[in-house]
Amino acid sequence: MAFSRAAKFTLAGLLIAFPWISDSFTAYQLGLYLLYGMVAQGIALCWGRAGFLPLGQALFFGIGAYLAGAALKADLGWAMLVPAFAVACLVPALLAGFIGALVFNRQTGSGPYFSLITLALSMLGFQLANSLSGITGGFNGMTGIPGLPGIDTYETLYFVIVGVLIVSTLALAHVMRAPFGQLLIAIRENEERLQFFGFRTSMLKAAAFAISGGIAGLAGALYAPHQGIVTPQAVGFVLSAELLIWTAVGGRFGLIGPVAGAVLIGFMAAGLRDSFRYWEVAVALVFILVVLKMPGGISGLFSAALSRFGGGRHDHDKRIAPAMLEGKEHRVAPDLRFDTVGVSMGPVRILNGLSFSISRSGIHCIIGPNGAGKTSALNVLTGRLPLGGGEISWRGISLGNTRPFIAARNGIGRKFQVPSIFPELSVRQNIEIALWANRIGTVEMFSMRPYGLTTQMLGELETRFPFLQQSHKAAGSLSVGQRQMLDFSMTVLAEPDLVLLDEPCAGLSTDETRQMIEAIAAIAGQTKATFIIIEHDMQVVERLSDHVLVMHQGALLANGTMTEIRANADVARVYSGGSK
Amino acid sequence: MDLVVTYGLNFAYSTATLGLIVLGLAVVFGLLGVMNMAHGEFVMLGAYSALTVQQAGLPFLLAIPLALIVCGALGWLMEWSVIRHLYRRPFDTFLATWGIAILMRKGVEVTFGREYQSVDQSLPGTVSLLGIDYPAYRLVLMAVIVVMFAALFVWYQRSNTGARIKAMVQNPDLAAAVGINTARLSRATFVTGVAIAGLAGVLLAPLVRVEPYMGLDYLLSSFFILVVGGLGTIEGLITGSSIIGGADVIISAIFDKTAGYLGVLAISILFLWLRPDGIFSRR
Amino acid sequence: MSAAPLLSIENLTGGYGEIVIVTDMSLAVAAGEALCVTGRNGVGKSTLVRLVTGALKPASGKVIFEGEDLTFAPAHGRARQGMGYAPQEGVVFDTLSVAENLTLHHSDRSLERYRELFAMFPRLPDRLGQRAGTLSGGEKKILSFCRALAEDTRLVILDEPTEGVQPENIALMAEAINSAKAVGRGFLIVEQNLSLVEAVADHAALMDHGECIYTHSGTVNLRAELSRRLKI
Repeated sequence: MAFSRAAKFTLAGLLIAFPWISDSFTAYQLGLYLLYGMVAQGIALCWGRAGFLPLGQALFFGIGAYLAGAALKADLGWAMLVPAFAVACLVPALLAGFIGALVFNRQTGSGPYFSLITLALSMLGFQLANSLSGITGGFNGMTGIPGLPGIDTYETLYFVIVGVLIVSTLALAHVMRAPFGQLLIAIRENEERLQFFGFRTSMLKAAAFAISGGIAGLAGALYAPHQGIVTPQAVGFVLSAELLIWTAVGGRFGLIGPVAGAVLIGFMAAGLRDSFRYWEVAVALVFILVVLKMPGGISGLFSAALSRFGGGRHDHDKRIAPAMLEGKEHRVAPDLRFDTVGVSMGPVRILNGLSFSISRSGIHCIIGPNGAGKTSALNVLTGRLPLGGGEISWRGISLGNTRPFIAARNGIGRKFQVPSIFPELSVRQNIEIALWANRIGTVEMFSMRPYGLTTQMLGELETRFPFLQQSHKAAGSLSVGQRQMLDFSMTVLAEPDLVLLDEPCAGLSTDETRQMIEAIAAIAGQTKATFIIIEHDMQVVERLSDHVLVMHQGALLANGTMTEIRANADVARVYSGGSK
Repeated sequence: MDLVVTYGLNFAYSTATLGLIVLGLAVVFGLLGVMNMAHGEFVMLGAYSALTVQQAGLPFLLAIPLALIVCGALGWLMEWSVIRHLYRRPFDTFLATWGIAILMRKGVEVTFGREYQSVDQSLPGTVSLLGIDYPAYRLVLMAVIVVMFAALFVWYQRSNTGARIKAMVQNPDLAAAVGINTARLSRATFVTGVAIAGLAGVLLAPLVRVEPYMGLDYLLSSFFILVVGGLGTIEGLITGSSIIGGADVIISAIFDKTAGYLGVLAISILFLWLRPDGIFSRR
Repeated sequence: MSAAPLLSIENLTGGYGEIVIVTDMSLAVAAGEALCVTGRNGVGKSTLVRLVTGALKPASGKVIFEGEDLTFAPAHGRARQGMGYAPQEGVVFDTLSVAENLTLHHSDRSLERYRELFAMFPRLPDRLGQRAGTLSGGEKKILSFCRALAEDTRLVILDEPTEGVQPENIALMAEAINSAKAVGRGFLIVEQNLSLVEAVADHAALMDHGECIYTHSGTVNLRAELSRRLKI
């Protein structure tokens, strides 16, 4: 985080002292901007952290405001008001979680679908708020909302807002620092890879969206007594767009930036809107500039300046006593069966009656000419391609049309041909995510304990690949060979029972290839896991494999030991796999 | 019987106008892969072109060249300054065009004011058709749209441009290697797409409220049509328009406008679940 | 070699940004002849081709085609000027049909020009309506090969045309190249498969570490000399 602890305490102190520094009317104004800033923090969690963009965040803000407004108008007293505020927070959270789960389950990545659906929902909310005049007061709004009982709206409500803001900021900061926050960055960086570690990313994103919705609802609930009126504008699209601008301009990667953006632009708008006609045009221009040229916004500039003067950017301490995880000692024998598996894309049959079974652990290599369907076989096994026909089973479980995270949870680990890592995370953080795979549950995602995890295999890998000890180095700055090795290390650190490696030596130098082969052989020997490796280089195959499968035109052509394969006339005819 | 004809004509009218609105986005998003969040704002600029021509006391048809020039020039500028640097970064394009959309809305708001305005019907009155009286301008508009689509369909079938654009988006290096000037082709495509959106705005201006935020509805309905109909085919575009337009007309008639909107949204989400590549997907 | 070469590459140096991969290469291709460039993986053969076709800008040196300096001409211009190219990777437009792949750059969209090639590779006309992305690697290579060969160009540049292609089809490719040579077209072919090289090459160059380490003129002893040097 860009701001030091002292700076944060100073900020909080300034906020609390603000009514005395300035006057109570300005503090009242500031209260509104701080509420908007809270919503913006939620947007930052989704957009800056997890990389998906909600365009209709005012919907949740407005729902919270209407709910709290109705509760206040019913004059329930504090005993009922507290649960009512909880409802005003929970309803938007659940709605956001539901929408997120609905959309993210079908759409991986950060395409326009989610954003446009949230935008449409916000516009729908606006229409509903206008037409359901019996509940919302329609176009004129829900008026005459009393203040919180015993709290003066123009004097003391400000302190309530500051208190809630500080608490929610601390809570969000914890969420971001916890493994959950790190997993959100991993989603932003490489969502598919995370799925192959057994994480159901759609649910993580939906949870992040739910948190942002809940915070927006809470801010809205305080908005109702603050303003005394809630109009359809509070759920509408215009406010949604402005919230987004404040987040972007303030800085979407942290928690202070969004609030700063809302407060700064809020005060400037109040001062300039009448005297400078083109004010809002100027704001829109700044937004475009920020998006294109300085994604970190104002706080990004600040932290860049700070780090230039030697301050800033301490990695937060995660001093936790290392807890040694047990490696898997006893493994059941693998039992993988492909029974006349077919996969078609359009009229082409990529896999055409592929049948084989693997019942011994050890290293199995798949070879075959280009286009034989080797990678497709791994894809269909891990749910990346739909099964067109036949049957795949793994330890008695049918894996036809599975999904990557389910395959991973059943102990199948996968490394792609192109090294697939989380480039913006550090080497250590990449490794942490692999260690968490299939090992931490929902509760632990929000505790700091998982940062201390380590395994014996990690020590071994660090000896083989010393660069893994440069834990603070960004994984994206590694060389191609090192990325291959990091990716391999991550795959085996999750300790899957079935390890699928697609050309692990692609792009490696002779020296690196040797290192990789040695590592594979050693890990396979120690873990007793089953390895299936696709490889073109016959030297690698010869050195590693106990058992070779030859594929040709989507089916199995031959299998056996390397010597048997060499002697096979069919293989010699269709495939003369040379050496690098 | 009259009721059936009225609903039939309303359905045809809403399909046709939606088809007209989505066409520009179909070109820019469907062919070029640029999710232009300012699509609706180009429609809005077209409508304001019609308003400007009317305020100047000039004939309505002059709005067409004006809109084509304004939208084309702005589209060219936008492509040159922003889009061309971002062709392979869809999320950034999405954000940047969203920023441009905000800018266009605010710019128009400052120039023309926030309030609703209206453009006079240049063809007032009704025509008697199949036993009912139907607004003349709507009928003419439908005819114009049908002719436009037919012409476009023939051109798309006969010319290679569609395939070249797809080729360029998918594999720019190879496209250049077979002799396609990719920079020029993508700019021409983008400008064409936003100019069509501007044209749609002119033609629709006499029928709708003209205001700076009118583009949002058009953006969303265009997007939903593309979700339902899929990208890259004219059949999909027409089918998508009729499904979205039909659902809106029917549900709005039974309940109210808000329910129609909710229905359209629900259908789009359903398609996202069941047929993420649109109704004609080959999967 | 005939008087003025069709293509001459003079002291070409370049690579990706700061990283220089090809250094000081000079080669020439005459009309009606094929020059094959060979060498192990990663020695810079494809980079050389990308420099010649304009996908990369060279740091120094010249690319002269039919007497005209094309060193910094845009890639799409070269195709129009008579320099055809089938790349090693990204060989087809995956999202387009096979027919569209073959015709999109011809304004008449006619498949007539492919008649002889279709007779050689009958798998291709069988799959005209199919999306090219669904073809196997070898089939894509054949599609790309046919597309480049049927263009009306004086020079054809082929980058690893036989990768993933079955041996019987490689022989047919060689046949097609030789008949195109007979009508005066020149070929620059980057290739590791020595069978094809032997069947079509009039000259050969061997690359290592971005440089030309051996050139062989004529067909005598070509394969033996190349394979002897490739072994080391």
